[in-house]
Formats: sequence, C-alpha cells, structure tokens
Amino acid sequence: MKLHRIYAMVLRFMLLFRRSYDRISDVFYWPTIDLLLWGLTSQFFRSFTPGADKILVMIITGILFWIIAWRAQYEISVNLLEDLWNENFINIFVSPIRFSEWVSSFIVIGILKGIISLSFAAGMAFLLYKVHIFNYGFYLLPFLFSLLLTGWWVGFFVGGLILRFGTKVQTFAWTLVMVMSPFAAIYYPVSILPNWAQFVAKFVPPSYIFEGARSILYEGKFDSINLFYSFGLNIIYLILGYIFLKRSFAKIMNKGMVHLY
Amino acid sequence: MLKLIIMNILDVVNLSKHYKKFKAVDNISFSLKEGEILGFLGPNGAGKTTTIQMLLGVLTPTSGQINYFGKSLQENREEILEKVNFSSTYTHLPWRLTVWENLLYTSYLYEISDRKKRIERIIEIFKLKKLHNQTMSELSAGQLTRVNLAKAFINFPKVLLLDEPTASLDPDVAVYIHDFLLNQRSQFQVSIIFTSHNMAEVEKLCDRIVFINKGKIIADDTPNNLSKTIEISHITFFLQKGTNEALAYCQQNNLIVSQNGKYFKVDCKEKTIPKILKDLMELGIEYSEISIDKPDLQDYFLAKANL
Repeated sequence: MKLHRIYAMVLRFMLLFRRSYDRISDVFYWPTIDLLLWGLTSQFFRSFTPGADKILVMIITGILFWIIAWRAQYEISVNLLEDLWNENFINIFVSPIRFSEWVSSFIVIGILKGIISLSFAAGMAFLLYKVHIFNYGFYLLPFLFSLLLTGWWVGFFVGGLILRFGTKVQTFAWTLVMVMSPFAAIYYPVSILPNWAQFVAKFVPPSYIFEGARSILYEGKFDSINLFYSFGLNIIYLILGYIFLKRSFAKIMNKGMVHLY
Repeated sequence: MLKLIIMNILDVVNLSKHYKKFKAVDNISFSLKEGEILGFLGPNGAGKTTTIQMLLGVLTPTSGQINYFGKSLQENREEILEKVNFSSTYTHLPWRLTVWENLLYTSYLYEISDRKKRIERIIEIFKLKKLHNQTMSELSAGQLTRVNLAKAFINFPKVLLLDEPTASLDPDVAVYIHDFLLNQRSQFQVSIIFTSHNMAEVEKLCDRIVFINKGKIIADDTPNNLSKTIEISHITFFLQKGTNEALAYCQQNNLIVSQNGKYFKVDCKEKTIPKILKDLMELGIEYSEISIDKPDLQDYFLAKANL
C-alpha cells in the first residue's frame, strides 16, 4: 500500500469539502439541530420529572456518539457517489491506485471529518448543557472506535450496493444507517424494546455500546463483555462488508465502469 | 534523423470481451512499438472503447493477454500504470476542483518527484496559466479537453491512450496539440494509441492504423496503404452547361454522383477518369474548377464502417 496514493484521494476529498457547502453543512448543521432539538426536549422532560437529570446527559451523549458511526458510513458512501456524479471513476482507476488504497482514503476522511464533527458537537454540548463526553473516562476510546467500525461496515455495504445498482440507489447513502438506529438503543435502553426488536438489537453492535454508556452513567460500572460483543460483531460485519464491496467492484470491472453513470 | 523502432511496448494477444452472447471484442491481437502512434479506428459500437478500457485495466477481459513492456498487465498493474496514462473527452475530472487542484491530487497518484515544478511545466505546455485557479465547471469544452490532456502527461507517460483527445478544440489549439504529441514521440519515444473521428488528423499523426469493426480487427496497416485499398477516386467540377446531360451520363454508366448546387462530385475508378472527362466534353457539357481527389482514409473508413 502506497501512502502517497491514499494521501492523493484524501487531499482531493478535503479540497472538495472546502468548496462544497452541502458537505460543510452536513458536518456542522445536523449535529447542531440534533443537539438543540433533543437537548431542549430532554430539558423540558427533566423540568417535570424529578430525579431525571441523567436523561439529558444520556440523550446528548447518544447524539454525540452516533455522529461517529453516521459520519464514518456517510463518508464512504457519499465520497463514492461523488466519483459517480463527477464521472471520474475511470480517471482514478487508470492510475496505479489499488482498491484497498481507495477504500483506505474513505476511512481516513471519515475519521478526519468525524473528529471535526464530534469536536464541534461536543464543544456545543458543553456550552449549551454542560455535558461532556469525558464522563466515560477510559471507555470513551473503545466506544468511539467500535462506533467507527460500525460506520465502516455499513458504508461498505452501501458502497457495494451503489457499485452494483448505480446512482438509482444513492438514497441508501443517507438513509441505511438510520434503519439500524431504533435497534441501536441510542436514547433508550434495549429493555423497553418489544421482544422481537430486542432480539434484533442483539445483532446490532452499537446497542452494546449505548447500553454500556448508560450503565456507566447510572451505575458507575461497565461490563467489558459488552465491548467484546460489540467488537466481535463489528469485525464479522466489517469482513463481510469488505468482501461485498470488493465483489461489487469486481462486478463493475467485469461490466465496465461506464455502466455506473 | 529517424531512429529505428524495434521494441514492442504493448502486445495484445487474443483479447476478447463477451457480454453473455454478445462479442464486444472478439479475439483481437495487435502490438504497439516504442515511439509509435497507432490510430485505433472503427465505427461507433465497433469495440474501440471496450478495448481501450481493457488496455487501461478498468475492464476485465473475458480472455486474452495484455502485456506492457513485456509484463502482464494483470500481474503488474501498479508498475505498468505508473508509466501509462489516458485522456478522453468523455471522462471528467471533479467539477468543483480548480485546474491546479486536479493536477495536484493527480500528481500524488503517481510517484512524481518534484510535483510543483511538474505541474507548473504542464500548465505552461497546455496554456492553462490563466485558468489554473478556475474550477472545472467554469471551463469551456475546449479548455476541459486541454486540462484532460495535461492530466494525461503529468506522470511522464511512456504509453498514452488518447480517446478523441482533440474533440472540441479550436483548430489552432488542435494543431498545437498535434505538434506537441509528435514532439513527445520524437523526444521521449512516447508510444500513443489514438482514436479520433477526424481522419485528416489520424492521417497526419498516425504511423499505423488498426481498424476494428464488430469486435474484430479488419485491417492493420499504414494510413497510406489502407487508402490504396480503396479504388474509388472523386472528380469534382463546377458545371456551367449541361446539367441534365451530365446526370443522364452518370446514370447510364452507373456512376455515383452527388450534387451541391452547380458542383458535381462523381465517384469513379482512377483509371476511368480520362474517359469520363472525354465523354463529358463530347456531350457538350461545359465545366470549370475541376479537381481530382485520390482515395483517402475518410474513404476507407466510409467503405469499411458499413461492412
């Protein structure tokens, strides 16, 4: 793997980002709206529910953590779409770049933008509600890393679908990760879900992270087995997602890249 | 002094691409020598783009071998593509990036040592200095073509695949690009595969033509030799008197004639030209501004494209 080629793609995405007001607004606008809407709503509930101070912290940290998974998948699928919209696929792959280098650049850009978005939102959460994510201490890093992995494998699946079916399924780039969110138990415990949904949640890696975060918040402890399940599932899905993306790419190499446009 | 050209830079052996039962490219073989400019011609849908995509490694062949510099493209993709580049009027660079930014990120895709210097040089060669801070969306079709060509030269390619590279260029810029390509060939022995619908351009630039139709190579020869295979010449003259008689004469002798006002163009075999002119004179047909055109690549293309 050659770093200069990954850098080339990251540079390109960053240069595009600078001039794409829609992308800039994605990084700052939606986290702001979510924080205002859900933060004020939970403040309202807290005002007439005695002892429910932690609701605000739970919801705000849910929003902040989810940014990481959302951004990681979004950067993979939307940057892939960017090449389709620009009809630039052939220009990239006539260069010596490898498939793995191309995918790595999505991952790097996802991390970079995730950091920008999370830092901005975390700063806002602190300023508006005095909530800070460092409450989770040592666990913060594995939590965020696990959510990053979730974003990557969802991005790989969406990317694979886009390569197979072209821009007609581009809406998945914005929506597919949201399908998982009710089962991820971002704002509420898994126990309040109906039985069938609790069963589904067992296979959704972020549910273990959000359950763990709540456990730290309410009980001051964390069962590491949750991290194990979350990472285990993420790694399995990540391998499957990568295989799916690679096979989809091989399919388009067989069919011809012009069929993507 | 012309250097002897011996080494094959590219060997294509029994290359095929099938889409289910449809044979887009059917068992073709050809080679490209060092410093050679090869015209790759054929009508729309003949298999040119499919072949070029396979040569660039962005389309998997059904069967066959592509070897650059004696090495298999499939097994040495990275090493080979460092020395190959491509330009087409039909592919685009990101619209929201400036000319400079596009060249900058492209330069990182290749192992180029002094990037800034190389980009500045390329910008100068392709006369992009005034445009370097403009985004691609702000450029005209001709300017976009020049940026695409600049991108293709950024890595000092040994082999270039150019798909209609001068389409939408102003004539003076097209001539400048032709001269630049010829200069690159003579200075650096760059080998070029060139597709174009402008036959005059192909005749001017290409040492050899590979003509493809319905996925098969039907000719592989010099432009001159291909033109010679066509027997039909054209006589064009401005008729002053005897239009109806001239038309009747052509009809009687099964000559294909096209008329544009008073201008008549008659297609005929070269050896029959003296007889036709004599017959027209005897019929009392008066004409002026006569010109006789030997068959050229355009005629070859028209004859073979309809096969």
